[in-house]
Parts: sequence; structure tokens; C-alpha cells
Amino acid sequence: MILKRVRSQSVALSLLLTGAVIATACGGEAATATPQSQIAPTTGTGATMVATIGVETPMTAATMGTTASTGPDKGVTPGTAGATPLKVGFAFITSGDNAVYGNSQKAAVQMAVEEINGMSSGPKLEAVYEDTAAKPDQAITVFQKFINNDNVQVIMGPTLSNEAKSSDPVAQKAGVPVLGVSNTAGGITDIGDYIYRDSLAEFQVIPETIKQAKDKLKLTKVDLLYAKDDAFSKSGADVFRTELQKNGIQIINEQTFATADTDYKTQITAIKADNPDAIVVSALAKPAQTILQQARRDVGIDPKVAIIGGNGFNSPAVVKAAGDTAEGLIVGAAWNPNANDELSKTFIQKYTAKNGKGPDQFAAQAYAGTYILYDAAKRANLSGKSPAEARTAIRDALKDTKNLPTVLGSFSFTDKRDANHPPVVQVVKDGKFDILK
Amino acid sequence: MSEFYNANSFLISLVGINAIMALSIYITLSCAMLSLSNAASMAIGAYTAALLTQQLAWALWPAVVAGALMSGLVALVLGLPIMRLSGVFLAIATLGFGEVIRIAIVNIDALGGSEGFRLNSGDRTIEASGWEVYGVLLLIAYFFSRLKGSRMSLALQAIREDENAARTMGINVTFYKVAAYVTGAIVAGIAGALYAHLRSFISPGDFGFQRAVDVLVFAVVGGTLAWRGAIMGAVLMTLLPEAIRVVPIVGGFNIKDQPEIFSGVILLAVILFLPNGLLTVALSLNRIRRPARKVIGHKEASP
Amino acid sequence: MNLAQLPQQLLNGIFSGSIYALFALGYTLIFGVLDILNLAHAAIFMLGATVSWWLVSAQGWSLLLAFPVAVAIAGLLGIVLDRVAFLRLRQRGAPQLSALISSIAVSLIFVGLSRLLFKDDRKQFPDGTFPQVYFDIGSIRVRLLDVVILVVSLALMLGLTWLVQRTSLGRAIRAVAESPKAAALLGVNIERVIMQTFFIASALGGAAGILYGMSLNSIEPGMGSQVELKGLSIIILGGMGSIPGAMLAGFLIGMIEVLSVVFGGSQLKDAFVFVALFLVLLVRPQGIFGLKQGRAG
Repeated sequence: MILKRVRSQSVALSLLLTGAVIATACGGEAATATPQSQIAPTTGTGATMVATIGVETPMTAATMGTTASTGPDKGVTPGTAGATPLKVGFAFITSGDNAVYGNSQKAAVQMAVEEINGMSSGPKLEAVYEDTAAKPDQAITVFQKFINNDNVQVIMGPTLSNEAKSSDPVAQKAGVPVLGVSNTAGGITDIGDYIYRDSLAEFQVIPETIKQAKDKLKLTKVDLLYAKDDAFSKSGADVFRTELQKNGIQIINEQTFATADTDYKTQITAIKADNPDAIVVSALAKPAQTILQQARRDVGIDPKVAIIGGNGFNSPAVVKAAGDTAEGLIVGAAWNPNANDELSKTFIQKYTAKNGKGPDQFAAQAYAGTYILYDAAKRANLSGKSPAEARTAIRDALKDTKNLPTVLGSFSFTDKRDANHPPVVQVVKDGKFDILK
Repeated sequence: MSEFYNANSFLISLVGINAIMALSIYITLSCAMLSLSNAASMAIGAYTAALLTQQLAWALWPAVVAGALMSGLVALVLGLPIMRLSGVFLAIATLGFGEVIRIAIVNIDALGGSEGFRLNSGDRTIEASGWEVYGVLLLIAYFFSRLKGSRMSLALQAIREDENAARTMGINVTFYKVAAYVTGAIVAGIAGALYAHLRSFISPGDFGFQRAVDVLVFAVVGGTLAWRGAIMGAVLMTLLPEAIRVVPIVGGFNIKDQPEIFSGVILLAVILFLPNGLLTVALSLNRIRRPARKVIGHKEASP
Repeated sequence: MNLAQLPQQLLNGIFSGSIYALFALGYTLIFGVLDILNLAHAAIFMLGATVSWWLVSAQGWSLLLAFPVAVAIAGLLGIVLDRVAFLRLRQRGAPQLSALISSIAVSLIFVGLSRLLFKDDRKQFPDGTFPQVYFDIGSIRVRLLDVVILVVSLALMLGLTWLVQRTSLGRAIRAVAESPKAAALLGVNIERVIMQTFFIASALGGAAGILYGMSLNSIEPGMGSQVELKGLSIIILGGMGSIPGAMLAGFLIGMIEVLSVVFGGSQLKDAFVFVALFLVLLVRPQGIFGLKQGRAG
């Protein structure tokens, strides 16, 4: 009797399990966004190429610097080089606590994909979007789905470094290239040779920030404030500590708070008593906003004592929310939201018109990342390649990215697959990020 | 089928891990103790096993056993003093225990602190997969099925019904409560050890209060009168976020982005209308009169 | 360690302690009367703050009007909470832990709905909602708002004490807390008293949420979680169900927090609170100020 019951139970369980996973697969399918200009089915068969050639105006793509020379080598005519679409899985946080980052990234990517697919030549992008919900487990599930179910050739994301540390090894093992566009922690690209990022790491931004701040503000002693139980804040604080020591700046005291904390007055009061030249803060955007207000208003930190922030402060939203308390804030960044190079200006204008607010660094890096993938797809010449070959070809093409004009500037990767461009050190002036002079 | 497995292997394994976790809280619930430290026990198992395979090059199974034992040991040391407490006092004490473990890991640099611990970054790869997870789940389920009707099971049942009466009857209440608590911690430790080797990265944030609540939800939704209920709850609730992806956006509100609303509603409905969990429904569907009667006519399990 | 900060820190401790105490009163009141650990109290704390913010920023109300309205809404949500989550369990005589789990479920729903309706960002009251006035006395800075918050929370605490000690409602509440059966025999309408208790407790929780949101100028769906853990520590320290105990323990936790930063470093702030919680549970489970153990277990 008991045995029988157990069996019927487990049969029911396995049926349930199967049913639910199938539902998952279907649900995922629905989220797939196929670009409108896509004519043929997704897989890069010969028939697809012919069909696509028919509607293409041949090679006005000189502007995009297509490496047409690779075409003939493979025995394919130049016109077809751009015909095979690149299937990209975008894994961003679009729900829960950190959706603000992912939504900004997704908006920028959608804009870039639309632009690219509107071009008369070059490969189209076929985009699949999934939400990682800031949960490492979900990021792994999404990566597995992208790789095995959607058969994407490259993945962009995930949003947070903590997610990337969990999900990127899955892609590395499967041989699928990943382009991180917002991971700033150390060790991400060490996961393997398929892992790239276009976001400057903390160890690239913070040294410049501290060096310039020291020069301009004559810093000799500072206090350090950070969230100890948050990976992003903690790793930022570690880099700050190293750089402060390298520059011979004394750290009087370190104060920490917990991610869930909302009140930092006690710590800031203790800092005030230390009488530092500056307060160095490594925190996510939400605490950043409150810390600025409490420091300047409630505790009354003298305006002459500078606040130097990590990447979490690098957001127009934070500066807007903090209002006049953000004045004088110093932040290192990969991109300045008031940048006035041509590409950035167009990007800012278009993004603002579309989304009703200006882009932040997350948007800029995701936008640039989409063009980096597009450029790699052009050079990789995907036509006729098996999925595995296409993935390796994209990885190799990413490696050869050289001086690509993007909103982040002329873009290349370092030997270690990190972004290779100089950071900007900004100071908040009249509620806007200005270059520190 | 293998393609299907590849595309969902982590999710499938996660279902198994959650089922093991649900069993770990089931055993304490079966004697009316609400433990909110199972996530911390999972963390102890995960970090112990990960350190052993990664830094001392142990094989997977010895490391899993060591992780389980370590978790059990910590629970024993802690369990002895707090078992004097009961009801919400015990729940709050175990909640505090969980937070202290999490804060400890954050502050231990050898474990990577808040930045987490990376596994299998070198050439050596010691990984777990669905096979290991479901093998262990079967073993534990077998253990629980054998437990039914045993001296321990009867004692726990008596404690659940009325602790004082059980004591009067000569049952060593403290012994059995500690035994249940430690068993739960060992089972959670096993789950943690396997979980760490399913992923290539673990961090203290993976084992916070949220996970403790999730595990409780698994067990309660499935039903706490029988171990099969816990497994059923874990399967259903783990797959819930996947299932609600089909929910459309209504009036600009993207309700599927808030899975906790669904978990909350399901949990509430179960606790109000099916105090012994969805298993009651499954049993009555199976038309098994005797046990179903016994379950329903029974004094309500706590909870 | 720099002792120059001590006076300012003690003041910080009193200000934050007053909000903690107000929050914990709602917890302890419900536990005292019903033996329920109501984990949805933190969600009501958050909703009180969110509703007041919405009234002020989206509806353009003055805070003087929005405060009492939001407090009343929080109180009504408490009644809803009781009707939805606890009434059925009470009628069935379900175990104590069922109510705890039921409150977790409602908390999940409330927080999720708040994320859905009000987005997840950190919200602020519009500029000028309350005047930014500071008094600098020597090295000490006192914010007018903090003084107002302290006065309001003390007034609410005294009001509650008066209500419980001196009014007929208070007598009924105490009677139900002592023994529901005896109270029923004495002709007390138990369901009515429970409803009133939930209204009062949740209104206090909502008020604490609004004051907390004003004090930090930040309101978000997750704001209840940190206060929740502190609240649990407070009611354990103060003795489950003890009203004066919760008030004193609220200030005590505020002090432990600031003193651990002054003397031990902020790394250990939360650890100190939990160690205190553990010690009290092990050594004196009835709480520092409690006289008897609750009817738990």
C-alpha cells in the first residue's frame, strides 16, 4: 500500500516537473524578439542568404569598415558576408531591487539593435532578452537557456558582477562568448578566454580618481565608508584602500554598513569626529543618495571636505535625488553623461527623446557593447558556419576589436579581455557631472 | 531529451536541491519547531565542502559528508542551549543564528567575504550534476520513509501534539528536539555541499534570510505531515517563477516581475484552507481513503 | 575611538531609538493580546510611509494632513491583515506558528504590491515638505525634524500607555491578553477588541514608518526588513508583550548601535545587536523588563 502510494506520487511529480519545464521553454520562446527586417528563418542556411541578398542594397557599408577581405578568403562573395544574422542573448536585471540598472541597459540595447537592423547592409542582430532578477541562480538558468535552447552565438550581460561570477563559467564551459557591459569587479575576465567586458573595472577607474583627487585637493588623510556585505561595494573599497596607500594618503578609520541599512548617520558622525580631508565612499546607488544627504545636511560635514565616490555614485539619478548635497562629489567613470563627442551627443539626444531621461553609464556601455558585437559579427563572417564555429569566430573577432569608434571612445580590448580606454574623473557642479579640472 | 536536460540542467538540479532543503526543514516542523537557520546550515555545508575540494583537493563525496557533519556539529553546539526555547522564541533564536553565520562569513577573508568564493577556477574541476543531486534526494527520501513508524518518528509526533504530555509520558523531549534539529542541519549541509558544486561561485548573499523563508514556504505549501509534501512543495514553488512568465501585463502593471506576490498568495491560501498542504489534495485525488482520512481528521500539524 | 563624538552619537541613538520603540510597540501589542508574532508589521511600517509619500508627492497634500490619513490607512490595513490572515486560523484554533507563517505570506504580498504600484526606487518627499532647520550647539547639530519626531513618538507612546491603563478599551485589551476565555465570560466582545488592537498596533507601525521615512528622507519597498530584525530584538529584550519593555528596549537598541560604532567599530554593529538578543534569549527569555514568559509554546 505504502509502496504503491509512493510510486503514484513520484509519477505525478515527474509529470509535473516535465510539464512545468516545457511551459518554461514555451514562455521563453514568446520573449524572443525577432527584428522586423528579418526575412528568413533564423538559422544561417544557404537559402536564408539568398533571400536576404535579394533585398540588400550592396555594400554601402564602407562607412562601417567591413572587413570585406575575409569574404573572398572563405569563398563567399562580399555581399553575403553581412547576411547571416547574429543571435544575441541579453541577460539584464529587469525586475526586483536592481531593475533600475537593467532597464537602462535594455533601453539602450533596444535602441542600438533597431539602428543596426535598420541599416541597409551588414549582419542583422536577432535579440533575445531575459531577466536575471539580480539572482545568481536565475542568471545561470538564463545562460543555459540562451546556450542550449535559443542557440545564441554570444551573450551580453549579466548586469551585476555577482551574477557574472556565477553564470559566466557556464558560458565559458560551453564555448559561448560573453560580453559584460557593467561588471566592474576584479576577476571577471579571469573566468576564461570567452569572457570579455567593455566596462572599465574598478582597478582601472579608481587609481586615476585617487591620483587626480590627491593632486587637486592635496589629500593627506581620509576616512573610508563602505557596505561590507555587498560584493560590489567591498571590492571597490579594497581597490580604494590599495590606491590610497600607494599615494601615501592616510586612512584614519574605516566605517562599514550593511546592504539592508538605510541610516548611515552614526557612521558619518564618527567620520566627522576624525576630521578627514575627504570621505571615500564605496556604495551602491541607493545608499549613495542617502549618504550624500545625511553627510551634508544632517551631520553637517563641511563642504570643504570632499566626498569621493565609487561607481555607485556615477548616476545622474543619484545626483538628481541628492540635490544640492551632491555638489562637489568626485566620481571616476568610464563615460561622462555630458560627453560632447559626436557619437555621444547623438546617443544622448536620441536616448533622451525616446526614454524621457538622459542615459547613464550603464546605458552607454550597453549601447557601445551592442556595436562592439555588431562589429565582431561583421568581421567574423558567420555565413555557413556551424553554431560552434560561429561562437568561436565571434570570440576571435572580439579579440581583434581595434579602435572601434563608440560612445566610450575609440574602443579596443586589453590582452586580458578588459576594456581599454582611459577613465574620466568627474566632479558634480550645478547638479551635473563635469570633468574634474 | 538530453537536449532538454542541457537547456535546463541547472534548473532541474535546483529543484532537487530545494527538495532536499524542504526535507531539512520538514524534520523540525514535524515536531512543531520552526527553524529559520536552515539557510545558514546550508551555507556551512557549502563553504566546508567547497574549501575541501578546492584547497585540499578532496573528492566530491568525502567533502559532502564533511560539509554535512560540520553543519550538524555547529547545530549541535548551538542546539543544546536553544532547545529550551519553544515556539516563536525558538524561531527568533534560529533567525539570529542564521544572521550571525552570514555576518561571520562576510567577515572571514579566507572564505572570500562578501565577494564570494569561486570554485573550479583552475584545471581541477569537481562538479556535481543532476545525477548526484537526485541520487542523494532518493537516499534521503528513503531515510525519511524508513523513519516513519520508528521510535524517533513517534516521539516527534508526540512532541508535536503536546510537548508537556510527551514529557510526562517519559519521552526525552530535549533529546529528540536536538536530534531533529541536528538531522535537519545535516540534511541542509548536504544540500549546501552539492549546491556549491553545481555552481562555480557561492557568496553569503546566497544563504540569507530570504532563502530561509523560501525553504519554509516549500515545506508549508507542500504539507508538513509527510515528507513527500515537502518535496512536492519544493518542486512546485521552484518552478513557479518559470510558470508565471506567461502572465500578461495588465494595465501597465507587469505582475510577473513580482513573483513574491504569487508565492505569498499561494502560501496564504494553503495555510488558510489546506493547513496540511497541497499533499492533502494530492492524496484525496488519489482516492486513498485511509491515510487521507487520517491526515485530515488529525489534529492540525504545526504549522 | 574619538570621544568628541559621544554627545552627538548619544543624541543620534535617542532619535533613532524613539522610532524603533514606536515600531516595536505594534509588534509587542499584538503578541501580548493574541500570542501572534506578526511579521507583516514591517510591511505595514513600509506601507504607512509609502502612502504618506504618495499623498504628499503625487496628490500634493500637506504633510500635516497626510500624516494622520496615512496612519489611519495603516490602521485599516491592520484590520484587513487580521481578517485575511488570522481570523480563520483563530476560529480553527490553529497553532501559533501557523499565524507566523500566515503573516510572512501577507508580508510577501504587501511588499510585492508596493513594488508593483510604486516602483522599487528610493523615494523622497518633495523639497519643502518639512523645513530644513538645524541648531548647531557647539559641536552638536540638532535637526528640528528629529526633535519633532521624538516629541511625536513620545506622545504616541504616552497615549498608548494611557489608553491601555486608563480607558475601558484598555481594560478590555488587558483582559483579552490575560485570558480570552475569562474576558468572554466577563462580556467582552473579543473579536471587536482584537480588531481595535490590530488597528492601534498597525497605526503605530505606520506612524513609525512615516517618521522613519521623514527622518532619512528615503522610502522604499524593502525599508521594513532592517527594522524588522531590530524590532524582533527589541521585543525579546523588552519581554514579549510588555509595552514599557518595548519602549525602553527600543532606546536601548538605539544606544547599543551608536555605542558599538563609537567603541567597537561599525563592522560589529549588527553582531552586537544579535549577541545581545542571544544572551537575553538564553539567560532571561522573559526579557530584561518582562515579568513572565509569554504564553508561548
